[in-house]
Amino acid sequence: MGRRRRRVDRGAAVGALPEAIAALSRTLPAGPSPEIFRRAKFDRPEAAPALWQLLFRVLSPLSANGASAPAAQEAQVRVVKSELHSQGYPRRALAQLPEDGSRGSRELLLALAWLLARGPLLERLLAQTRVRLGDEIPLCECEALARPGPPVPRVEADGPVDIRQLQWLMGKLRFQWRKLITSQQEQCALLGKMLRRLESENVRLEAALHWRRQELVFWRWMDTVLGTCPPEASQPTFVPRIPERGAGEWELVARELQALREELRGAAEPRRAAWEARVGGWGPEWSAVQRASREAVGLELAALQRAWERGGAAAQPHGPCRLVKSDAGASGGPGLRAAQVIEVLRSREACLEAVLCQLQRQCRQELARLAGALPGLIWILPPGR
Amino acid sequence: MSIVTVQLGQCGNQIGFEVFDALYSDSHCPQGLCSKRENEVYQASCKERFFSEEENGGMCGQSIHCPLLFSDITNLFKAKSSMCYSVHGPRHEESIMNLIQKEVEKCDCLSGFFIIMSMAGGTGSGLGAFVTQNLQDHYSNSLKMNQIIWPYGTGEVIVQNYNSILTLSHLYRSSDALLVHENDAVHKICAKLMNIKQISFTDINQVLAHQLGSVFQPTYSMEGSYHYRRNPLGELMENLVPHPEFKMLGIRNIPQMSENSLAYSTFTWAGLLKHLRQMLISNSKMEEGIDWQVRPPLSGLPTLGKVSLNRELHFNTSIANLVILRGKDVHSADLGGFKDPALYTSWLAPVNAFNVWKTQRAFSKYEKSAALVSNSQFLLKPLDTIVGKAWNMFASKAYIHQYTKFGIEEEDFLDSFTLLEQVVASYCNL
Repeated sequence: MGRRRRRVDRGAAVGALPEAIAALSRTLPAGPSPEIFRRAKFDRPEAAPALWQLLFRVLSPLSANGASAPAAQEAQVRVVKSELHSQGYPRRALAQLPEDGSRGSRELLLALAWLLARGPLLERLLAQTRVRLGDEIPLCECEALARPGPPVPRVEADGPVDIRQLQWLMGKLRFQWRKLITSQQEQCALLGKMLRRLESENVRLEAALHWRRQELVFWRWMDTVLGTCPPEASQPTFVPRIPERGAGEWELVARELQALREELRGAAEPRRAAWEARVGGWGPEWSAVQRASREAVGLELAALQRAWERGGAAAQPHGPCRLVKSDAGASGGPGLRAAQVIEVLRSREACLEAVLCQLQRQCRQELARLAGALPGLIWILPPGR
Repeated sequence: MSIVTVQLGQCGNQIGFEVFDALYSDSHCPQGLCSKRENEVYQASCKERFFSEEENGGMCGQSIHCPLLFSDITNLFKAKSSMCYSVHGPRHEESIMNLIQKEVEKCDCLSGFFIIMSMAGGTGSGLGAFVTQNLQDHYSNSLKMNQIIWPYGTGEVIVQNYNSILTLSHLYRSSDALLVHENDAVHKICAKLMNIKQISFTDINQVLAHQLGSVFQPTYSMEGSYHYRRNPLGELMENLVPHPEFKMLGIRNIPQMSENSLAYSTFTWAGLLKHLRQMLISNSKMEEGIDWQVRPPLSGLPTLGKVSLNRELHFNTSIANLVILRGKDVHSADLGGFKDPALYTSWLAPVNAFNVWKTQRAFSKYEKSAALVSNSQFLLKPLDTIVGKAWNMFASKAYIHQYTKFGIEEEDFLDSFTLLEQVVASYCNL
C-alpha cells in the first residue's frame, strides 16, 4: 500500500518539476528552458552559456533605456562573479570557473538558487521592468507655474475689421483641429502598443504566481543537485541565510573603514587645495558666481525646510506620484492617501474651470464685437454645439 | 511626429537624396557647439522626424521614390506632364498609394508629407499634382507641403509655362503650402557665394538641401525651454499659411558660403539679421548685391495709398514671417527689426505675423546661421510673368492638342488661369 502511494507521489512530482521550472523561467528575463536546468544538475558544459547570460541579466543593473548592448562573454562572466562576491556568495568554486563561460553550469544553478532564496529577487525584477502606464500625477505646482501659457492672439481694439484677418483666424482654427485629430490618432496607436506590452507583462505575472505555488518542488530538487556536488573542503552547508558573525568581526570591519576614510581624506585635501588655488586666479567674477550660487542654494534649502516644517509628515512630495493599492490597515508610508490626492485634484479642477469660463466669455465678447463690425455677414456655427 | 517624403521625377529624386544626406550629416556633425547630451537629443529628434530604422539597425529616410517614368527625354513636343497627370498617374495610383501607406504605417504619428517635385518638367509636375490630390483624398487630416522647383527663366521645355500653370493651380487646391525654390536664385548663390565654376545639379541640390535643413532641423519648442519642438511642420503652417489664398512660401538663409571660406569668417547676430531683413524687404535672394535703397514706407498712410507706394518702391510686403536662428549666443539676438509693422500688411499685426524659432545647436558647421521662411510678395513678378506667357500661348492655341489628347480640356486651362489671376491679385493688393 505504502509503496504504491510513494510511486504515485514520485509520478506527480516528476510532472510538477518541469512545470515549476518553466514558470520560473517565464518570470525571469532571458529564462532558459527546463532542459537546461536538468543538464546543469549534471554539470553539462552546453548548459553553461545560457546560465551565465541569465545570471548576468539578473545581476546587472538595468540601464536607463532598458536594453543595453549585449556584453561579450568574458565581460558577462566577470560582472557575474564580482556581483556575487559583493553580495557574499559563499562557494569558492564559482570564482574559479573559466572566463570563457564554457563550464560550470551546476555552480551557476546553485548560485541562482542562492539568489532566489535570499530575498525577493523575482518581485524586484518584475518591479524593475514593469510597464510604465503614464498614470502618474504631479502634485507639486513647481513645473506648472514655471511654464507660461501660450500667447493669446490679440485683435485690434478699434477700427474696421478686414475680412482677410477673419479668414486668417479661421484658417488657424482649421489647422488646430487637424492637429487635434492627429494627436488623437497618435494616442490610439500608443494605446495599442501599451496594451500589447501589458499583455506580455501579464504572462510574466501569471508565471510568477504559478511559481510561488510550485516552488517547494524546485527546492527539494535543488537539494538533490547539491547532493551531486563533489564535497568541497571546509565548505559551509548550503544555507540560504547569512550566518551570524561575532562582534569582533564587526570591530575589524569598522577599523578598516576608518583607515580607508583617512586615506581618502589625505588624498582629497591636497587636490581640493590645488583646485581652489587655480580657481582663485580666475578673478572677481568667479567669486561673484560662487557667492551667487551659494546664496541660491541657501535660499532653496531654507524654502525646503519651511515647507517641511509647515506640512510636517504630510508635505507634498516633489515629482509625480503613482496610484498603488495597499492593505486597508497598512500605515502610511511615503506618499499621500487617495483622499488627499482627490482633494488636491478637485481644487485644481475648480481653478481650471474658472479660467476656462473666463476665456470662453472673452471669446464670446470678441466674436460679438467682430460680428457687429461687419453687417451683412452671416455666422454659421459648426455642428454639434 | 514624422514626415514622409514623396520624391517625384528626376528632379525630386535627386533633391530628396541631398536633403536626407544634409539632415543626416548635420545631426551627426561633431561640431554642434553644445553638450553631448543635447546633441543626442537633437539627433533623436531629427531621426524621429525623417528616418525610420531598418531591420539591420541602419537608418533609412522615410520616403517614396517615383523616378522618371519615361526614358524618352529627347522629344520636346511630348507633353509628358499631361500624360503623367491623366494616364500614368491613374495607372500607377494603387502602387504609389500602397508605397505611401507602407511608409505611413512605420510612423508612430504622422505629421504630414513633403512632396518634392519640379513645376515645369515632365514626371514631377504632372505626377506631383496627381499624387497631391490623392493625398488630399486619402489623408485629409495630414499636412501637405509641396517643395516646388521653379524653372529657369530661360526655359528648358517649350511647354513649361503650360505645365507650370496647370500644376500650380491644381496644387493650390489640394496642398496646404507651396514652398518655392527658384532655380535662377540658387544658381546665382552657387556662382557668387559658393564660387563654384562648373555648376552641376548636385551643387544646386546641395544648396537647396541646406536651406531645407536649416528650417526643419530641431529647434526649441518655446522661449526658455530646452525641449525640441515636436511638430515643426504643423507650427510653420499655422503661423504662415492659414489663409487659403496665400500659400506661397520662400526661403532665404544667411550665411551661405563654401566650406573653405567658413573657417575664416566670423559673424554677429546683428549683422546677419540686418542683412536678412534687407534681403526680405528688397526681395533679394542672397546676401550679395542687396539693394540697400529700398526702405519700408512710413506708417500712417491709408491702406490704398500704401499699396501703390510700395509697388513704386519695389518694397516686398510680407504677410507673415518665420525666422529660425541656430548657433552660439542665440538668445542674445535682437529681432526688433522684424517686428516693425511697416514690413507687414495692415490687417495682421507683427505679434501675430512674426515668429521666431531658436536653438543653440549649430547647423552644419556654421557657428551662427539664420533662415527666413516668408509668405510675401516675393513670387509675384515671376508668377505674373509665367501666367502672362502661358496666356499668350493659349490665346493662339499653341500646343493645346498635346493636352486635349490626354483629357485636359480648354476649360481646365481657363480654370487654372482664373485661379492664378486671383492669387496674383490677392498678393498684389497686400
